[in-house]
Amino acid sequence: MPRLLLLACLAAAIAPSVAPAIARADDAVSAPTVACPQGVLMLHMLKPQTNPPYPGQLALFKAANPCVALDIAEVPFGQLADKIAVLAASGEPPDVIVYDGPNTQSYAAAGILLPLDPYLPAGVKDDIVAPTLAEHSYEGKLYSPGLQQTTLALFYNADMLAKAGITPPGRTLDQAWTWAQALDAFKKCQQGEGDNVTVWGLAPSRFGNGTPGFVYRDLPFLRTWGDPKAPPDSSVYKTYWAISPDGKTADGWLNTPEAIAGAQFFQDLFSVAKVTPKAGIPDAFQTGRACFTLDTSYFIAGLTNKDPGFKWGVAPMPYTRTPIVHTGSITLGVMAKSAHQEAAAKFVIAMSTGPIALDLARSTHILPVMKSLYPSLPELTQYPLNIFAEELNQWGHPRPPSAKFAQYDKIVTDALRDIAYGAAPKARLDAAVRSLRPILAR
Amino acid sequence: MIRRWVTIAAFIGPFLLLLAVFQYWPVVAMLRDSLYDFQLLDPSRRSFVGLGNYLDVLTDPDRLQAFAVTFSFAAGVVVTVIPTAFLLAVYLNGALPARALVRTIVFLPVVTSAVVIATMWTFLLEPNNGLVDGVLTAVGLPRLDFLTSESQALPSIVLMMLWQQTGFATVLFLSGLQAIPRELEDAASVDGASALQRLRHVTLPLLARTTMFVVVMMTVFSLQAFAPPLVMTGGGPDGTTNFLAYDIYSLAFSLQQPGLASAVSVIFMLIVLAISLLQMRLLRARWAY
Amino acid sequence: MSATRLARWIGGAAVLLAIIGFFLLPYVWIIASSFKPQTAIFADMKPLSWRTFIPAAPTMANLVSLFRERDAGRALLNSAIVSLCQVAGTLMLCTLAAYGLTRIRFPGAGLVFALVLLTFLLPLESLMVPLYITVSGLGLQDTLAGVFLPWIASPFGLFLLRQAFEELPRELDEAATIDGAGHFRIFWSIVLPNVRTALATLSLVTFLFSWNAFLWPLVVLSSPRHAVIQIAVAQSVAPGQMPNWGQTFAGVTVATVPLIILFLFLQRLFVRGIAMTGVKG
Repeated sequence: MPRLLLLACLAAAIAPSVAPAIARADDAVSAPTVACPQGVLMLHMLKPQTNPPYPGQLALFKAANPCVALDIAEVPFGQLADKIAVLAASGEPPDVIVYDGPNTQSYAAAGILLPLDPYLPAGVKDDIVAPTLAEHSYEGKLYSPGLQQTTLALFYNADMLAKAGITPPGRTLDQAWTWAQALDAFKKCQQGEGDNVTVWGLAPSRFGNGTPGFVYRDLPFLRTWGDPKAPPDSSVYKTYWAISPDGKTADGWLNTPEAIAGAQFFQDLFSVAKVTPKAGIPDAFQTGRACFTLDTSYFIAGLTNKDPGFKWGVAPMPYTRTPIVHTGSITLGVMAKSAHQEAAAKFVIAMSTGPIALDLARSTHILPVMKSLYPSLPELTQYPLNIFAEELNQWGHPRPPSAKFAQYDKIVTDALRDIAYGAAPKARLDAAVRSLRPILAR
Repeated sequence: MIRRWVTIAAFIGPFLLLLAVFQYWPVVAMLRDSLYDFQLLDPSRRSFVGLGNYLDVLTDPDRLQAFAVTFSFAAGVVVTVIPTAFLLAVYLNGALPARALVRTIVFLPVVTSAVVIATMWTFLLEPNNGLVDGVLTAVGLPRLDFLTSESQALPSIVLMMLWQQTGFATVLFLSGLQAIPRELEDAASVDGASALQRLRHVTLPLLARTTMFVVVMMTVFSLQAFAPPLVMTGGGPDGTTNFLAYDIYSLAFSLQQPGLASAVSVIFMLIVLAISLLQMRLLRARWAY
Repeated sequence: MSATRLARWIGGAAVLLAIIGFFLLPYVWIIASSFKPQTAIFADMKPLSWRTFIPAAPTMANLVSLFRERDAGRALLNSAIVSLCQVAGTLMLCTLAAYGLTRIRFPGAGLVFALVLLTFLLPLESLMVPLYITVSGLGLQDTLAGVFLPWIASPFGLFLLRQAFEELPRELDEAATIDGAGHFRIFWSIVLPNVRTALATLSLVTFLFSWNAFLWPLVVLSSPRHAVIQIAVAQSVAPGQMPNWGQTFAGVTVATVPLIILFLFLQRLFVRGIAMTGVKG
C-alpha cells in the first residue's frame, strides 16, 4: 500500500510537467477544422509582466487571425534577461520573445534572433522612426520593427508648486529648465527637514525596485553634460555618447571629467541637497509625497484613470549642457530556433503596424514607432503628449548601443546606484570602466 | 554469485545512478567549462582559454572582493551566533516553565525559508518606513541607512543571519547542556567552585564537540548564502554584499560569462571542501569523561 | 516577597519579553501588515504603537489579490507536489541504498559511502549552471520533476539512515534468512518497520528543505504556471518591480504559515532530528 502511494505521488509530480510537454510537441498544429483547413497553429511567446502586448491587442490579432493561437508565458521584468539567456540555450525556446530593445545587438550577435527583412511588407522599414531603426538593426539587418517608444518628462504637482510660490516650468522644449533651475524648485517645494521629510522634492525612481541607478532614467544625468557638436576627440563630445561607436570601449567615454561632474550632481540630489530619497516609496507622486517625478507617457494613463486629487502638469526633461532623453523600450522579436518562423514574423509585424499598433498607442499613450501612424493620433500634437513626441524627435537617443549592452547596463546601473548611495564618483566610474574593459573587448 | 551482485545493484543502483547524473557529471562539466570562454546565449560558440579564467579570478579586484566579503560574512556569523546561542541555551536550561515556549519561538526563523527571511528583512530594514527604523525612532536612537550604506549593509545581513540561525544553535547547545550529568556540576560546587568557574572548567569543555558542530553548520550556511544579495542588495553597495553564490549567479546569467563563473565555482568548491574536511577532522577529537 | 526577589523576578520577565519580542515581533508585524492597506502600513509606523502590530481596520484585499493576480494557490500546490514527491523519492532511494550498504556485505561498501559523502560538501551554487545544462539536456527544464529529481539521491538521507540501520541487530536478519527470506523481504518487513523514527525525521527535514528551496527552482523553472511558492514570493521583491508592500507581506505569510503550523504540531520530531544529527556527530 505505501509503495502504491509513493508511485502515485511520483506520477502526480511528473504528470503536470510531462503532459504539457507531450502536448506541446504535438500541439504545434492541431487537426484541420472547417474554419482553419490547415489546422490551428500554436505560437509560444515569452513576455514580461505588466508590459505590452496587452490582451486588447492580442484579441485584435486573434480576430484577424483565427487560425493562430498564442501560448503566453510571463516573468517579472527583472528576470526577463536571465530567462531569455537560459531559454535560448535550451532545446525548446519560445517562438516570440518580448524583450528590452537595447539588447537587440547582443541577441543578434549571438545568433538567437531571426532577421526580419524577408518578411517585411514594402515600405514598412522606411516608416520606422530613426531611433528605433538604429536600435534594432545589426550589421545591416533589421531584427525587430519595434513596438513602442517612450521618453521621460518632468511631471509636477501644480497645486504644491502654487502653494510654494514656484513658477511652473514651461511646456515647450525651448522653455525646458536646466537642472540647476530644477534643483532650486525641488528644494523650494520640499517639506520637512532631515529625517522627517513629509514631501520630497523629487520622487524616487519608479523603475526597478525603487533603488536609484537605472541606466534608462539616470545615465542622462551624465550624458547631458556632453555636447554632440563638440570636436569628436574631445571629452565633452564623448560624454554625450557614453560608449565608443563600435560599442567596445567605455574608457574615456563613461568616466570623462564632465561625466564625473554629472555624477556628482546626481549624488548631491541624495546626499547634499537631499531632495530625493535613497529607497523607493510606492506611488510617491500620486499620494502627494513628492512634488516632481520623472516618468513616461504611460504615467498619464494612470493619472487620468485614477484622479490623484490634485492638478498636475508635464514639462520637458531638464538638461545641463545638451538636452537628452533615452529612447528605446520593450519590443518583440522572433527566435532563430523557432519552428514557425514565418507565422511568428507575421505576428511580430502585425503587433507593430496598422490597427493593432494604433490600438496600443491610443489605449496607453505611448508613442508608436511607425511614422504613418502619427497623423491618426492628433493627441500627439497636443499637450501633454506632444512633449514626449517632440523629445523623441529632437532629443532622443537609444541607450549606449553595444553587443554587450546587458552587461553594460548591469555594471553602470550598479555604479550609478552606488554613487547615489555615496561612493566617490570618479573612483566608482573608473571601477565600472575597469570591470567593463574585458567584457566589452571580447 | 551474479545474483548477489544483481541484488546489490538493485539496492544501491538507482541512488548511485542519480548521484552520478546530477552531482558527479556537473562537477566534470564545470571543470571543463572553466577552461572555456562562451556565452549562455550561444554555448556552441566557445573558445578555449585554458587557465585564463583562473588568472582573471585571481587578479580581478571584484572577484577577490567577493571572496573576502563571503568569508568575513561567515566569520561574522560564527562569532556572533555562538555566544548568543550559548547564553540563550544557558538561560533556557534554567528557565523551566518558559522553556518550551521560548524554544519554539526561537526556532521559528530556522524553519522559515531564506527567501522569506530576506524579504521580511528588506522591509524591516527599510530606512524610512521599516520596523527597525520605527523602533529606533521610538526609542530616540539615531536613524541608520542599513542596506544603502557601504559600511552598514554587511553587518545588517549578519544581524539577519543571527536572527535566523540562533534558534538552531541554541537547540543544539541546549541538548548538549542537558546531557551534562548533574553530578559533575554538583561535585564542582561541593569543591567550592563558583558559577563562573563551573562554567569554565566543567560546562565549556564538555560542550566542545557541540560547539564544533555548530561552527561547521554556521560556516556552511553562511558560505552558501544567496537570497540576501539577490533579494535585498543586488551585491552592493559597491560590492560589499557580493557573496560568492550571487557572484557566480550574476557572472553566469547577467554578465554572460559562464566560463568565468565556473572558474570561480571550482575555486569556491575547493575552499569549501578544505574547510569542511578540516572542521570534520577537528570534530573527531573526543572529550571523554 | 522581598525587594530583591521582586526585582529579580521583574528582571527575569523583562529578559524573557525581550527575547520573545526580538524573535516574534517581525513575524507579527509582517502578518498583521498583510491585512492592512499600503497607506496604513506606513502611517502606523510612526509613532510606534499597538497599531503597528494589530490592524485597526483589517482587510482581505492583499490576500485576495495575491491569490487572484499572483496565482498563489497554484504556487502552493506546486510546492506541495514537489515537496511530497521529493520526500517520497528520497525515502525510496535512500532506504534501498542504505540497506545495500549496511546489510549486504560486499567489498568496497566503505569506499562507495565515502564517495557519496563527498558530494554532500559540494555547494549548489557552484554546480547550478552545468546542472541546469544537464537537466535541460534531459528535457526536464521548466518541469516540477526537474525541481526535485536531482535531490532525491540525498547524501544526508543516506548518512542518517545508515546510522539508523547500523543500530539494528544483525540477528534479526539472520533469523529471517533461516526462514527463507530474501534481501528484499528482510528490507521491507524487518528493517524498515524498526527505523520509523529515522524515517519520520528524514521525511520532515526533506520536506522542510524542499519547501524552502529557492535557488534551484529559480534556475530550472521559467513559466509562472510552474512556480513554487518561494519563487512567487521572491518575484515581488526582486529588482525590476516596485514592491507592493501589503501583497508581498501576504505572500510571505502564505509561504511561511503552512510550515509553521507543521512545525508546531511536529516540534518534538523536528528538534530531536536536528539534535540527533548534531550531538551524535
